[in-house]
Amino acid sequence: MFTVRSTVKTITAHVKPTQQLRYKRDKAGLNPQLERIVNQLSVMSAARKQPRLLKLCDEDYIKHRTVMKAWSLYRKNKIEHNESLLEKQYQSMNEAAAELQSINPKLYEIANEHQFGKRFPLEIRTPTDFPPRQIWFYDYFPKVDGSKQQ
Amino acid sequence: MMQIRQLTRSFATATTTTTSNIPIKSSLILSRTPIVTQDISEFEKLFYNYQEELERRLMWTFPKWFYFKKGTVAEREFSEAQNYPIPNARGVWFPQGNPDLKHGRDRRFKQEVILPKKHIESDNNNKEEDSDNDFDNVGRPIRANSRITKFDKENDQTSLERKLPRTLYLLVNQNGNWKFPSFNVLSENENSGLHKIAEDGLRIIGGDKINTWSVSNSPAAVIKYDSNNKIIHNTDNNDQLITREFLIKSHIIAGKFDLQKSNNSVSDFKWLVKEEIKDLVDISYYSKIDHLLSDI
Repeated sequence: MFTVRSTVKTITAHVKPTQQLRYKRDKAGLNPQLERIVNQLSVMSAARKQPRLLKLCDEDYIKHRTVMKAWSLYRKNKIEHNESLLEKQYQSMNEAAAELQSINPKLYEIANEHQFGKRFPLEIRTPTDFPPRQIWFYDYFPKVDGSKQQ
Repeated sequence: MMQIRQLTRSFATATTTTTSNIPIKSSLILSRTPIVTQDISEFEKLFYNYQEELERRLMWTFPKWFYFKKGTVAEREFSEAQNYPIPNARGVWFPQGNPDLKHGRDRRFKQEVILPKKHIESDNNNKEEDSDNDFDNVGRPIRANSRITKFDKENDQTSLERKLPRTLYLLVNQNGNWKFPSFNVLSENENSGLHKIAEDGLRIIGGDKINTWSVSNSPAAVIKYDSNNKIIHNTDNNDQLITREFLIKSHIIAGKFDLQKSNNSVSDFKWLVKEEIKDLVDISYYSKIDHLLSDI
């Protein structure tokens, strides 16, 4: 059986300690550097850290299967609902565009102009778990149109 | 080459100038995006709890020796904070089976890692409240704000600070009907496009101290009304009398909708979530906008 400690000892037997020692520490174990390596490797190794195997009885196993099935159904329904919503939104956009084109081609052209440099505004908030102290910014004043704006 | 292109363009415009006087309206779906994260349902809560318990049961033992150096104060504080299980002993009967301890954890169960408390909370309550409101004090205790605001408790539907985990939509009472604000497209303002007409119209009825961001130039949906202001569902008839209302999506970013007194057509406004809109507006109108509104 190889342990982390024994393998490190054999691999790094030739590494000399950089720290000056007052006494010879042959019997005191590894030097501090190697000790640290052993420590770090031991975190990654499963030895003595793994829990006992989870053994479910038949009833518990059926319960587990039921829970997982319910969750997958819930997810599936949610995804399907979202997809159908997207489909409907696409259809209604299409319908509106066709309608606009047939009755007023000029407005249709404006509606389909490419919006260069259109970006999501920086001022908009990303939802957080809890609200900020000032929930909404009310004191907004519109920018006075300078030379940049048309 | 350029000349030819210009020539063809001029022909194109020549054909498009023959627009008829079909009445068009531009309507704005103004939404306030959620400020806090979505509420999770009871089922989701239970499932996440189940998963977490499973994960903790199957977790490897916490390597204390890696995080705390032996013989330090931190290690002692940590060790003192833990609830160590009773070790196995010969001649002792354990009703729930023999403990199987490795590194101070009973491997049959989950391990609870308890962090030692860093600072002692003061006993004086008044003092605590004082330090709570003292924002210059860096050491004040961290307390999260409530997800339910006072506007939720009062059920003030004109406030932007209600229903923080949901998307709110602006509805106005325009000519006696609750609907999204809609504006006529006239021949003189036709050149600016549907989105601009809707945004400008919003500022006429709600003041210009409002910052909005329209999602797109192009409409998200169209609603057709006949001469009696009834919604038509079939798409065949191309009548001159049919009014077409195009819906443009937009977000409010800052400022507020402040109903202008000078405007007569709009008498009231509300910020509502999807379910409340369903209860308020016409069934035929709701059936047309149902899929455009967010469930969250």
